[in-house]
Parts: sequence; structure tokens; C-alpha cells
Amino acid sequence: MNYKKDIMRKRVYTILFAGALASIGLTGCKKWDDHNAITDDSLTSTLFDKISTDTSLSRFAELLSKSGYDKLLASSKTYTVYAPDNAALAGLDAAIVNDTAKLNKFIGNHICNQAYLTSTTSATQRIAMVNGKYHNIFGTTIENVDIKRADLRAKNGVLQVINKMLPALNNSWETLSTNSAIPSAQKNYLLSLFMNVYDTSNAIQTGVNPTTGAPIYQAGTDSVMTNRFWRNVYNLNDESKQYTLFVLVDTAWNSETKKFSPYFTSVDSISTASIAQWHIVKDFAFEGVYTQADLPDTLLSKSNVKVPIDRSSIVQSITTSNGIVYIMNKMAVPLANKLQQFVIQGENYSGTSVDKRSNTYFRDRYDTLTKRDFRDVLVYGHGVSSFAINYRISDVPSMSYKAYWVALNDFQTASFTQKLAFGVPTSTALAYTTVSPNIYSEVYIGEVKVDSFKNTLNVYLVGAANTTAATNPLVCDYIRLEPYFK
Amino acid sequence: MKKNKLTIYSSSMKMFFIKPITLMAIAMVSLASCSKILDVKPEDELDESDMYRTVYDADAAVIGIYGKFVGLAERYVLLNELRADMLDCTLNADENLRQLSSHTVTEGNPYANPRPFYEVIINCNDVLKHFKIMRDQNKLKDAEFQQRYADVAFLCSFLYLQLGIHYGEVPYVTDALENINDVNDASKFPRLSFNTLIDSLISFSTSVTYKDEYPTGTNLNVTVDGYPTNKWFINKKVLLGDLYLWKGNYVEAAKWYRAVMETGTVGTVNGSYYSMYKLGWDSNGDIDHYITYSRGGDVSTLVTTSQWRIMFEQTMSSEGFRREWVWAIPFDDNFKPENPFVKLFSPIGGSYLVQPSQTAIDMWNNEQQKPSAATNTVPAIPGAPYDARGQLSWKFINGQPVVMKYLYNYINNSTNLPLNVLQKESKWFLFRQTHLHLRFAEAANRAGRSRLAWGLFNSGIGGAFPAPTSNVTEYQNTLKDPEPAFQFDARNSGNSGVPYYRADWYRNIGIRSRANIVDYLVNSADSIGSIETGLINESALEDGFEGTRWPDLLRVAMRRNDPSFIADKVYNKLKNSGVSSGAASEARRKLMNKDWYLPFVWK
Repeated sequence: MNYKKDIMRKRVYTILFAGALASIGLTGCKKWDDHNAITDDSLTSTLFDKISTDTSLSRFAELLSKSGYDKLLASSKTYTVYAPDNAALAGLDAAIVNDTAKLNKFIGNHICNQAYLTSTTSATQRIAMVNGKYHNIFGTTIENVDIKRADLRAKNGVLQVINKMLPALNNSWETLSTNSAIPSAQKNYLLSLFMNVYDTSNAIQTGVNPTTGAPIYQAGTDSVMTNRFWRNVYNLNDESKQYTLFVLVDTAWNSETKKFSPYFTSVDSISTASIAQWHIVKDFAFEGVYTQADLPDTLLSKSNVKVPIDRSSIVQSITTSNGIVYIMNKMAVPLANKLQQFVIQGENYSGTSVDKRSNTYFRDRYDTLTKRDFRDVLVYGHGVSSFAINYRISDVPSMSYKAYWVALNDFQTASFTQKLAFGVPTSTALAYTTVSPNIYSEVYIGEVKVDSFKNTLNVYLVGAANTTAATNPLVCDYIRLEPYFK
Repeated sequence: MKKNKLTIYSSSMKMFFIKPITLMAIAMVSLASCSKILDVKPEDELDESDMYRTVYDADAAVIGIYGKFVGLAERYVLLNELRADMLDCTLNADENLRQLSSHTVTEGNPYANPRPFYEVIINCNDVLKHFKIMRDQNKLKDAEFQQRYADVAFLCSFLYLQLGIHYGEVPYVTDALENINDVNDASKFPRLSFNTLIDSLISFSTSVTYKDEYPTGTNLNVTVDGYPTNKWFINKKVLLGDLYLWKGNYVEAAKWYRAVMETGTVGTVNGSYYSMYKLGWDSNGDIDHYITYSRGGDVSTLVTTSQWRIMFEQTMSSEGFRREWVWAIPFDDNFKPENPFVKLFSPIGGSYLVQPSQTAIDMWNNEQQKPSAATNTVPAIPGAPYDARGQLSWKFINGQPVVMKYLYNYINNSTNLPLNVLQKESKWFLFRQTHLHLRFAEAANRAGRSRLAWGLFNSGIGGAFPAPTSNVTEYQNTLKDPEPAFQFDARNSGNSGVPYYRADWYRNIGIRSRANIVDYLVNSADSIGSIETGLINESALEDGFEGTRWPDLLRVAMRRNDPSFIADKVYNKLKNSGVSSGAASEARRKLMNKDWYLPFVWK
């Protein structure tokens, strides 16, 4: 019965082992603390601590406290603060300091979410600030301001000390609508383009239509106020992008309106001017910032119009938070740049006078002149007198055009005739033209006059007025309408 | 509590004493009966000596060989197409594939390792050895032995031909090796030059007496899971034709190809009789495999739901498949191995590693289609300036050019979406009637029958020997040719012609006619060379991506002793594919030096 001794021995061992462990733990404790301790002072203090202890930033710290942003910078999220030093803030307008809203906007313009180190921004980056504005950063610059002391780390982000302040500017649209320097004529036109548009993304649903099952929205929440310019050209309110906008002085605006009005004639002079002005202004905004120094002599607009830029015509330039606005005393876009040709592909028609799909042939052919393949349409044996193919073109200025087509008759040796008709298929303004065999080149059809500006214009390719297959085919690669300035 | 502990202690002490005794007992027993105990065959595994007992075991061995052979499908397509000019790497392709494409294969590249081929070959040799033993022990009837032995022997020769094409000098091993690494032992198996290898293969293959397909009713010619198995097995006569064609014995080659072309010429005279392997029409879109438009002249009406494209999609049990394809093996979701082609070709559900080269795309775009047939109401409308087979061999899916031939059982042709993302079905296309006709024509052309060769790939035999009058007796045939392999009778008197003829080959329409392409223009100054070039070009247009491009180019380059035939084409592909012009020139220089082969790196 020596198991009792065994147990005793075991207990002794256990105690000894525990003691040994404890002693190791005790002796090692201090070392582990040393190992884990934060030795870098910068990591123990928040951004706000860091700013408030820096004497050269005392003014900024003061403003932070005043605006309440000090609490943000003491929080655990990560920020980058571009802190102007005291010298830079000496010139700060007292009006901003005394207006809480303005002050918040101003201070917020120096703080952004996330940490951005100067060493890792090798390409221009557009970063969002906490006030909703954006700044471009690149290396040790933010906008046009130099970072004097870079990449100072804190517990919750990075501090960059700058020697100029970053004023919270208006964006281009705000500038356009509020800046007193903006000439009124073009501004008034742009502000007249506001409209209410159905948009349910923020709508409040109040019920369901019992018969259709469609949602019913609370009145006033199912639409948004928007501007035609924002929707069709560029949204100059968008802070995340940058735009260059040109605004004409009133005399230039009026003379451009006068210049283009003949090409946009409508029911009355007000409508005519309005349409003309839309076609003028749609080419006045460009994506990207072109400073005065790097403005090219020509810019290509979103709707593919070449706009000549004369730097000597710049009256004033206004930097905005998302780009630049130029006030110009002249910006004459040549007629030929604005009023462009129409090319109608034969196979892309929108209808035919009678359904003759089974007599319609879409063909792939090789053009011996351009050395390229092209697709055309042939309608043969349709048996309809004056069979017509209908094309639609939109935004057609009121002016004269020279009409051409490429119509390849390579399927029979006999010639046949076809014609173009504008507005209605029975129009006789243009006569029938002979389609001779194997002509790959453009053929001139005649001159056509469009009396008034058309949102949509019907163009018809009309076959011969008989029912004989060999004489009434229709064939077309494309139709081209070239503006004709007399 | 205390009692319990006591019991535990005492029992463990007992154990201590029992253990050594048990161990000693076991040791003594095992020593005494060593040999007898180990002679017992394992119960859960099949011993080699029990493997081959009946004809069913022999069948299982054949199927096993083919199961292993299917594992080479990916390698077969990559080596034969990516090294040539029609297949190119995508941005997803790894360095190994790029090396294959640009002819810069290094030693570490897995495609430089011929081992996968030899693994199947050694298995073949082992099976052949056991088949002989089975026959000697009367476990196989002589006919059963002949059929199975021939099948495996020819598959083995097929693999050697592939090895020769891609590695040049290779060891020719006909023994069943215990250790596969002996293959690389030059003292046991010296490496044969490609030419000597072909001689050896011809002498071995001709010595095998049985050269037909498995007869109907045998276990290897049945339908399994909807797949008729007879298309799975190699066509021995085709391989003999190929071997003789490589060798340059054109009459012999033509004889063997011709034998396959006459496969359908048996029994009842019906559509199959006239069209199977004869490139004949049967007025059925699922069988004819034409390029056709539902309204001639309107390119938007290209038929894609039957006709030419459908041969790649239709089931293996369909009549159209049976008459077109000589050799094809299915990849099915229900059995292994997994389909490698979705991985290679598909941007959806696959890795999209290879794509059609610009050179291939241009080849189709440089052809001209025939005008539509004039009717009473519509004149002939000129044909489109491209070969529509291109549109059906590859297409853009989400802006990326995709080789489609292997994907029609996976991606729906009209929606471009997978039928079922996880069911990756496809077929390994090895050989069909167009390969057969083009190679027969290649042999016939070199044997001095240029007009016959021209007819087979253009507008048919009848078209090559047209009759000026309604009496066709002396035309539309080559029956006066002294060599039977070149005697064709394609006479067709029509309904009113006198005398009346409907000869065996009267429905033969020619490959380009079937694809609605105008006849190939022959340069009369060098008609043989010109037709040969046309045949190889036609093989690309018709059979592109099906794994024959590199052998086609290599065969002609070797025959003409003109390395530029292959080098310029590869150079053009590389030049158009975004490889630096230096790398393209380097590939050209290498191929111009007749450095056509992969390094043989055994691993």
C-alpha cells in the first residue's frame, strides 16, 4: 500500500513545478512589458492632442475647439488633417470665425477621412473632405498649397502642416448661380432649365394601388428637382469631379444667339432663341480643369463639337471647389463645327411602308474603294409601288443640306431608280435618281431644305412607282446629309 | 474512490507482463509461416494475374486504355494548335502556354515532358502482352484477340506519331516496362529519328491483321449512356493513310483513306449509302452540314440551329454525327475525366486560356461566298466577303474572341450563356470526313491526280469533271484511272439524261461548295503546289482548332523542304498577337532552321 506515498510525492512535485512556473512568470513580466510598451510618443496621442500641443498650430487648435471638430479628431476613426499654421491663419476673415456654419465648413475643408501619406500619393488623387468638398493631392501638395511638415503620425491618423489655408469655395454651379461677377444672360438661361423629374429613389411609399399593385408615394417625394444641363451635359454640382465652364458676357451671348437662331427656327422667336441657346450652351462645359496656362486652342465637347478657345477673350477666371469658371467676352463657334452632317446607315431603318421582311436582304459586301467590308440593305421583288423605307434623325437644324447615298447595284445589270423624301414619303422635293450597276462611290442626290428645326425628322428611301421587280428595288449602304452654307 | 484507483493500478501492471509475451508469440508465428501467409492474394484489390481471364476483362482493359488516353485531350489540342498559327494565348495564359505559342519552350515547361504519352503507351504495351498470353491460354478466341489487339496497337502507333510530330527524335518502346523511367534510358531504347519512327510504325501497323472497326454486336460496339461507342475507337485505316502520307507513299495512303471513304457503301442504297464519309448531301440540315442562309442573299438569316454548326453540338447518337465524324470521344458530366475544354476556351465557367489568333480570323475574312441562286423572282445576290464557317468556329462573347467548336454542348449558341454552369459537357473531336477528304486529296494531288484533288475540296467530283451534254457517260467519273483507289464514279444524269445514272458518288459536293465558298483558284504555273497549299488552307478553314493544324503545316514543310511554309505562318500569328517583333522574328528564325520540335525532357 505505498500509493499514499506516491500521491504525496506527486503533490510535492506539483507544488515545486507551480513554484518554478511562478518564478519564471515573475521574472519575465517586466521584460514583456518593455517589449510591448509603446515607445513612440506619437502613437499615444490623438490628432487633437498633437495639434493642441504644437505651439505653431495653436490658432488652428483654437478654431477646432470652437467648431467642435476637436471631438472628431479625438475619436478613434482615422483622419488626415491638413493644419494651417498660425501665420497662415492670421489673415482669416473674422466673418468666418464668427459664423458657426461658415466656420464648420472652413475647418471641415481641412480634414478628410482615411490616412493619406505624402509618400504614397505618387499620382494625383481626389480625396473627399468631411465637409463634402474634394481636394486634389499629389506628393507634398494639396491643391496649390505646400505641405511643410509631412506625415506626422498620431494614434488616429496623419497630420500634415501647411502654410496656407484651404478656403471652402463654392462649386461651379453655386458660383454660376450666386457669384455676382457672372453675366446674367447665360446664367438666367441655365437657371431656366430646372425641372421636376420622376425619381422614386427617395420616395416615401404610403400604399399600394389595389387594382394595379403599383406603389403609391407620398405627394412631393416621388420626384426630384434637376436641371437639363446636369442631365444632358455635366452635373456641375458634383464635387467629386472637376469641370471647366465658360460663361459669355451678355453681348457675346446675345450675338451668338442671333448667329445660331436661323438654324433653330421654331414656332416663335422665344422658342427659337431657347433652342438655339441650348445648342450654344451644351458645348460650353468640359470635363477636367484647364487652367489659363494649359488651355488648348480647341476643346472637343461632349456632343463632339470642336470649340475654339481664345485666351485673350478671357475676362475673368473664378476658381471653384470643383473646377474653374471662365467669363469670356467672345467664344464664337464656327457654324460648320456646330452644325454637323448626318450619316444614316441603310440597314438601321425604323420602319417600312409595308412589311416586306421576306423580300429584304441584309448584305455584307466588300467596298473596292475603301477596302473595307460594309453592310447594306436590299429590298427586291417586294411588288409594292413606291415602297418606302423609313429612317429617323433627331435634332435637325433648319437649313439646307446636300444629300448623298452609297447604293450598290451589284445584283443586276439593269439600272433602276429610287429617291429620297423628307417629312413624308410622297414628298417630291427630290427627284428619282438612277442607280447604275457597280457604283461603290457616293452619289449626289440633290439639295434639300429643312424649314424649321426638327426634334425628329422622317427620311424615306422610296422605290420606283411601279410593281416590276427589276425596276423597283431599293438598295442602300448609307445616306449622308451634308450641311450646305450658302 | 480509493478502491477504484487500486484496481486501475493493478490492471495496468498485468498489462505490463502480457505485452512482451504477445509480441514474442506474434513474432514466432510470423517467422515460421512467412512465405505462405504472404502468398495470399489481397481481397480488396485485383491482382495482375487475375486481371485477364475472359473477353470481358479484355474489353475492360481496352476501355481502361481509352480512359487514360482521354486524359491527353487537352495536351493534344494545345500542342497541335497553339504551336501553329490559328490559336493564340489570352491574357490569362500562363508562361508555359506562352512558351508553347512562341516556340520558346524551356526545360521546366511541363509540355516539354513526353511522359504523359509514354504512360499510355506503356499501358498499351502491357495490355498487348497480356492479350497474347490470353490467346495462348485460350482465354480469348482468335477473332476476339485480333480485334482488341489491333485497336490497342493502332492507338499506340497514333501516340507515337504524335510524339514524333512534336518531339522529333523519340525512343520507340514496344515492351511492357515495369519501370516507366526505362523509357529515358538511351542504352535500352535509342531514340529514333522521325523518319525511322514512321518506318517502324508502318511496319508494325501493317503487320497487324485486323484493320476494321469492332463488328456490330460485340461488347465494344454498343451504346452506353446514349453514346455509340464505335466512334470512340481509333480508325485504323485512317492511321495507316496518315503514316503513308507522312512517309510520302501517296498511292498507299490514298488506298487506305479510300477504304474509309467507302465505309457507307454497303447494304441498302439510301441516304447513308450516298453520303456517309462521302461529303454527300441528304436534303436534311442535321446531316448535310452546309453553310446556308434561310433566304439566300440575306446574311442575317445564316442557319445556325442546324447545318454546319450543328455537327459540333448534335448528339453522338444522331445520324448527322454518325455520317460526319470518324473519331470523337465524349466528355460527359456523368463520367470521368473532367472536360478540359471549358477550362481552356470558355470565358464563362472556364479559365479562357486560349483564343483564336488574328491570323485565323483573317483567314476566314479573306474568303468569298458564292452568290445566292437566282430564282424566277430574285436575281443572284452576290455573296458575303467572308467565310461564314469563321462565325461558327469562333465568336465574340462579352467582347472577347472565343473558340466555340468545343463549347456548343456547354454554351447556348443563341444566348451565349451556359446551359448549366456546372455541367461541362463537350467532345474531343479527332477526325471527320473533311479531314479524310482533304488528306486523300493531298495524296491524290501528289500522285498526279490534281483535278480529282481539286474537285474533292471545291465543287465535288462531278464539278471537277463536268459533262457538256446531258449524256454524262464519259464524264463525272475517273473510272479510267489505272489505280483503283482513284477510280470514282460520280455520274448523275439528272432526271432527263439518257442513259440514266445515279452513281455511288453522285452526291459528293466538295468541301468548299458545302461551305458556300467560291472555288479555289489554281495557279497553273505550279498546279500541284498551288492545290496543296489550297488543301492545307482549306483544312484550316474547315477543321480549324480541331487539332490538325501543326501536323498539316509540318508535313508540307518537310515534304517541300521549305521551312518558310511553317515559319512565316507562325511569325504572322506572333506579329499580330502583341508579342514583341523581336520574339516573333526569333520564332521565325528557329523554325527556318528546321528546329520544329519541343525539347524532350523526361521527368
